Amino acid sequence: MNSIIGIAVKDIKTFFREKGTIFWTIAFPVMILLLFTAIFGREIPFNANIGIVDNDRTPVTANIVTGLNSTGFFTVKNFADKTEALKELNATNVRAVITIPKNFTQNLYVGNASVSMALDETNPDVTRVVRDGVKTFFSEYYKQIYNQIHGVNYTEPITVIEEPSVLGLRIGYKENIVPGMLTYPLLFSSMVVSTGAIVFEREKGTLKKIRAAPIRPINMLFGKTLAALFQTAISIIVMSVLAVVLLGPKLNWNVPLLVPIFFLGSMNGIALGLIISCVGRAPQEASNAATTIAVVLQFFTGMYFPIEYLPIYMQQIGRVIPMTYAAQAIRDVMIRNATISDLFLPITSLTVAAIILYGVGVLLYKRWVEKG
Amino acid sequence: MGERVIIEVEGLVKHYSEVKAVDGVSFSVEEGEIFGLLGPNGAGKTTLMEILCGLRRFDSGKVTIRGFDLIKDSLKVRGLIGFCPQETLLYDLLNVRENFAFSASLYSLSSKKFKERVEFSSKFLGVGEFLNRRVQQLSGGMKRRANLAASIIQDPPIVILDEPTIGFDPNVKREFWELIKNLKGYGKTVVLSTHDMYEADEICDRVAIMDKGKIAALDKPHALKKTIGGEPSIRIRVKDSQTKKALSILEEYHGALRDNEVHISARNPWEIMTKVSSKLATKGVFTEKIEVVEPTLEDVFIKLTGRKLTEESE
Repeated sequence: MNSIIGIAVKDIKTFFREKGTIFWTIAFPVMILLLFTAIFGREIPFNANIGIVDNDRTPVTANIVTGLNSTGFFTVKNFADKTEALKELNATNVRAVITIPKNFTQNLYVGNASVSMALDETNPDVTRVVRDGVKTFFSEYYKQIYNQIHGVNYTEPITVIEEPSVLGLRIGYKENIVPGMLTYPLLFSSMVVSTGAIVFEREKGTLKKIRAAPIRPINMLFGKTLAALFQTAISIIVMSVLAVVLLGPKLNWNVPLLVPIFFLGSMNGIALGLIISCVGRAPQEASNAATTIAVVLQFFTGMYFPIEYLPIYMQQIGRVIPMTYAAQAIRDVMIRNATISDLFLPITSLTVAAIILYGVGVLLYKRWVEKG
Repeated sequence: MGERVIIEVEGLVKHYSEVKAVDGVSFSVEEGEIFGLLGPNGAGKTTLMEILCGLRRFDSGKVTIRGFDLIKDSLKVRGLIGFCPQETLLYDLLNVRENFAFSASLYSLSSKKFKERVEFSSKFLGVGEFLNRRVQQLSGGMKRRANLAASIIQDPPIVILDEPTIGFDPNVKREFWELIKNLKGYGKTVVLSTHDMYEADEICDRVAIMDKGKIAALDKPHALKKTIGGEPSIRIRVKDSQTKKALSILEEYHGALRDNEVHISARNPWEIMTKVSSKLATKGVFTEKIEVVEPTLEDVFIKLTGRKLTEESE
């Protein structure tokens, strides 16, 4: 029994002497709790962008737009042209496009009003919530507005006519989850592997050997990157094969397009891991930091969890995280059959972010080395 | 700077917060010599060596290696040095050859040169028998040999060894001394740190005695012993009951009692030893042991600092 207590006491004392480890041990539950509170502690834990093409342009239709916005459920973007709106839908910048036809207001008064709705069906969760939300709005919420305006009950709901799926197919849960799963190694494998890289060398003392050699910091970081890329690639390949065998999703496995996205996504994850590795003093600290950051980032990037469930400010944070672009690009290729021209933004964003992160990594590594 | 000077250190200062680890050190090392830094733990030897290897920044001073400034031409300087620190810097899960290959890659060694160097290490450092074994399976001695071989796999002109034989048993230590002397034979300049006076005496061409971050003296070991260590001494052990009598007989030689032995300092010890021996015998004192002891580097250190080498620098 003494030895058991001895071992525990030793480990606990060591823990309390590594300030960084204490910080991340406390930071993890705090951040997770804050995140869940921010997401689920709201009255309406969902906000999706939807587009409106108002061909009627009357005070009533203007009121509909205001009403949709005021639900807190939707952020409405107005489009003058339906083609433009559908482009945005195709790019998943809006999750639905509602078209209000001409004479909508006239028809409303004779109980024969309808709107058409085109849905982005690449994410079943979001599709379901948006569909239900829009239908509820028109059938229920609008009745209240009508009563407020006219002082009489209006009982005929507005018909919401669903347009055929933009992609021509409806995406199932399997098809939705697999691209998200494949983003997982970009965040976890790459980051965790590279985080351990420098800390391990430092702990073992072998970093001395590398630092004494005539190599530049960038060589060191790129060497570590290549090894981490290799390990991340193994994770991605194993995950892809298992996904095909076990789930059999109907997806577009466009390898020539997926490889550069995986490569750039991994580079971002690895660079972030190397930065943590340069800052972290002890392996435990670096590992805790990497896990906490990876877990938090997965919420922002929409890997599994649709970003529509995040408060708007968090969605905006998500849009500046490079991994969000990787996750979206993987979805776009696998689900929407995106072409290279569709991937210009994510590829550019990931490249720029990787360059910036490596720049920061080199500076931190040099600073750390120079401190001696 | 002389023609054969390969390392030139001028007024080097390094602080760790308030502590001055290296305090205005200046010295030069000549090409092809074995240069030793001798001093107790905490004297600043390791810090100085790590500065020479580019592992630590310094506060002021200048270091030139083969004419290259350590700071401005950092990459060139690092290419000239093979550094072997106290600890074994090998990867346990790789075998010895793989560890060598990694070290060689850091210096962009061609595969032809690498093969030559592995062959050299196999013969010269005796690592051939365990080249394909994982480091985790090696004995301590094997690891140290492999560690030394890995640190010079790139065939550097300068080899810096930090306490190369620390923790070795006497036999392995002697074996290592031979290896280090052989390095010199292969034209290498060796800079090593040690707190073992015998090691410094045995293998170094010149020794800098360090204490509290400063160089207290620098010369060839025999010159240090001759100029600072004092005269040789005759050490006489007699029966305990006759010690006082012996002291009074040898009064004219200013004998002193230390560790139950009578110590007599003399410039010409061999001549005096004969006289002392016969004088004691004539007066009926039985001599158990009588020997001439030359001054050691320990004596030099004691003379310079008033402390023993085994005591830590403050």
